[in-house]
Amino acid sequence: MTSDAKQPAVVEATGARRAFSPQGVKIWGIFGLLVAICLFTAISNHRFLRFGNIENLVHRTALIGILSVGAAFVIITGGIDLSIGSLVCLVGVLLPYLLVEHSWPVPLALVAVLGLSVAIGIAHGLLITKMRLQPFVVTLCGLLLYRGIARGLTGDQSQGFGVGFKSLRAIATSKLPIFGSQPGVFHLPATALILIVIAVVAAIFLNKTIYGRYLLALGNNPEAAKYSGINVDRTTIMAYVVCSTLAGIGGMLYVLDVNAAQPSDFGNFYELYAIAAAVLGGCSLRGGEGSITGVVIGAAVMVVLKNTINLVFPQYENMEFAIIGGVILIGVIVDELARRFVTARREAARQNKTNPPG
Amino acid sequence: MIRAFARSAIVLAFLAIPLRAQAQATPGYAFVTNGVADFWNHAEAGAKRAGKDLNAEVTVIMPSSMTDQTRKIEDLLTRGTDGIAISAIDPANQGDILNKAAAETILISHDSDAPQTNRQVYIGMDNYDAGLLCGRTLRKAMPEGGSVMIFIGRMDQDNAKRRHRGFVDGLFDRKSDPARNDVPSDELKSDDGKFTVLGTMTDQFDRAKAKANVEDTVTRHPDIAGMVGLFEYNPPLILEALDRTGKLGKVKVMGFDENSATLQGIKDGTVVATVVQNPYQYGYKSISVLNELHKGNKSVIPTNKFIDIPARVIDSSNVDAFQKELQDEVSNK
Repeated sequence: MTSDAKQPAVVEATGARRAFSPQGVKIWGIFGLLVAICLFTAISNHRFLRFGNIENLVHRTALIGILSVGAAFVIITGGIDLSIGSLVCLVGVLLPYLLVEHSWPVPLALVAVLGLSVAIGIAHGLLITKMRLQPFVVTLCGLLLYRGIARGLTGDQSQGFGVGFKSLRAIATSKLPIFGSQPGVFHLPATALILIVIAVVAAIFLNKTIYGRYLLALGNNPEAAKYSGINVDRTTIMAYVVCSTLAGIGGMLYVLDVNAAQPSDFGNFYELYAIAAAVLGGCSLRGGEGSITGVVIGAAVMVVLKNTINLVFPQYENMEFAIIGGVILIGVIVDELARRFVTARREAARQNKTNPPG
Repeated sequence: MIRAFARSAIVLAFLAIPLRAQAQATPGYAFVTNGVADFWNHAEAGAKRAGKDLNAEVTVIMPSSMTDQTRKIEDLLTRGTDGIAISAIDPANQGDILNKAAAETILISHDSDAPQTNRQVYIGMDNYDAGLLCGRTLRKAMPEGGSVMIFIGRMDQDNAKRRHRGFVDGLFDRKSDPARNDVPSDELKSDDGKFTVLGTMTDQFDRAKAKANVEDTVTRHPDIAGMVGLFEYNPPLILEALDRTGKLGKVKVMGFDENSATLQGIKDGTVVATVVQNPYQYGYKSISVLNELHKGNKSVIPTNKFIDIPARVIDSSNVDAFQKELQDEVSNK
């Protein structure tokens, strides 16, 4: 009897049945939503499937995906980071500001903005763990601070590269000829490669290293994690550093991509997009669960939805937020129903096994 | 099972939204603004009216930021369009996407020009001239001079910068110099010592903040003599805040654009005057020029590539006639 009760967890973790674990169900659910939206858009506007558009979508997903993976790390610990968008703004403004206005050498400017992002992550982590401030409060102050600093530093003037720094901007704007360099074939946006590297490293870290397991354990039950000897403070700080660093990398890529940052609105709401992508992708705001694959697909859903509105319903463009909000809500509801269904069926199967009918 | 059902329900829900006919024989044009405002509703009315008159399909797009504007142009190009009229948020740095649009379809600019790009023509007014008009009108209304605060949505777009420069030059009655670049946040004094510009407060289109800016100004400078709101929604919020702080009528308020509260203020005597653009004509003219260019008629482009739709001063003498003109525009949509 006792061994039976433990059995399912072990079985699920192995082989084909893994796809039907609660996390697996979530990933398939969100993937289904993505496919449904893509199918609908492709049927409604045949230009959706043009390589140019797919390249745009992959590129946009990569940018928001990088932020979302960062958000997922803090959400998995049961925390939250509301400062992502403002940090994107600060880094996005600082990079052209240092390079163009102050003529810093490129490597120095890159190191400076990345160093700043790491430092901000450490500061968030220390305030949350050592000062015992709530993550919501700390990062809310960050949200206000970083945008305010970006605006004050630049006197509200938009910071851009103009027509310069083409080779640096290539990091975010170039497309790789993976299927040959002739026009008309699919080119992989360089940003996609960056996301893939980040996502693979993050997934391995989360699932295959002891620190990743600490992170999940911490989110599941901070008390238990503490008593099992996990250095809770260090693990939490690490999650915020990962999040801020990825926000910094995202901010760099965004400004290199769009060529300029307006201190007043650059990166506005991006933290909420990142959090929504993470939640869509199977992260629980209660902490302890989440998968990198799901988060990246979640980011893709957000991106494709906006594209769908622009391609199919341009006249409803001003309802963009409502449509995105509605679809996320439907996605989360469907996901919850599916999870309940699977759990109920498994429970029934277990009941049958313990008390065979007849 | 449940999942499959729910999934098809989502698809059905989507299909229930009325679909626009895919194939279109009529040309389709896009009118892209730089934000959301009543001002743009008049432009939309003009653009839609032109679409009806010329039998063209007009899509009006109001993006929320420069990144959003860039993304929406990309998607417009994917969707396919016969022409785009745009008020670019940061033309100096949007060269790539604007030139891409110019290469793939007809691109013209309205409201705020993008002179460094391959746009074919600019339709609008010179914001420096309009600012100058605004500054001179307020100067005339304040014969004994005084201190003035400037309220504006944001300073990082070209039309805002030029309008701001024009206003200060007009108020200070100094030589026209569109190239002069005062630091907007600094306190500025006129050469004759009569006028002081205390500063320039921005609000990023956040109306609550715009109003708080005015209230804080009254707190900090109780003796302030003049205020100017350079974006459409600023003057009404100046009136609201002055009313709340008991200063209504004691401060000379100069407006910009034709918000109905601003016009009412002119009638009530709480607003000196307002300088109006003609957004309806921006919309109408943009679409008709796009339509001519689409037909291959390049003669609509003047040699200086600038189709002027000049600004006017609206004060108590002509406010009634102007209001009627506005009503007619919207009812003809």
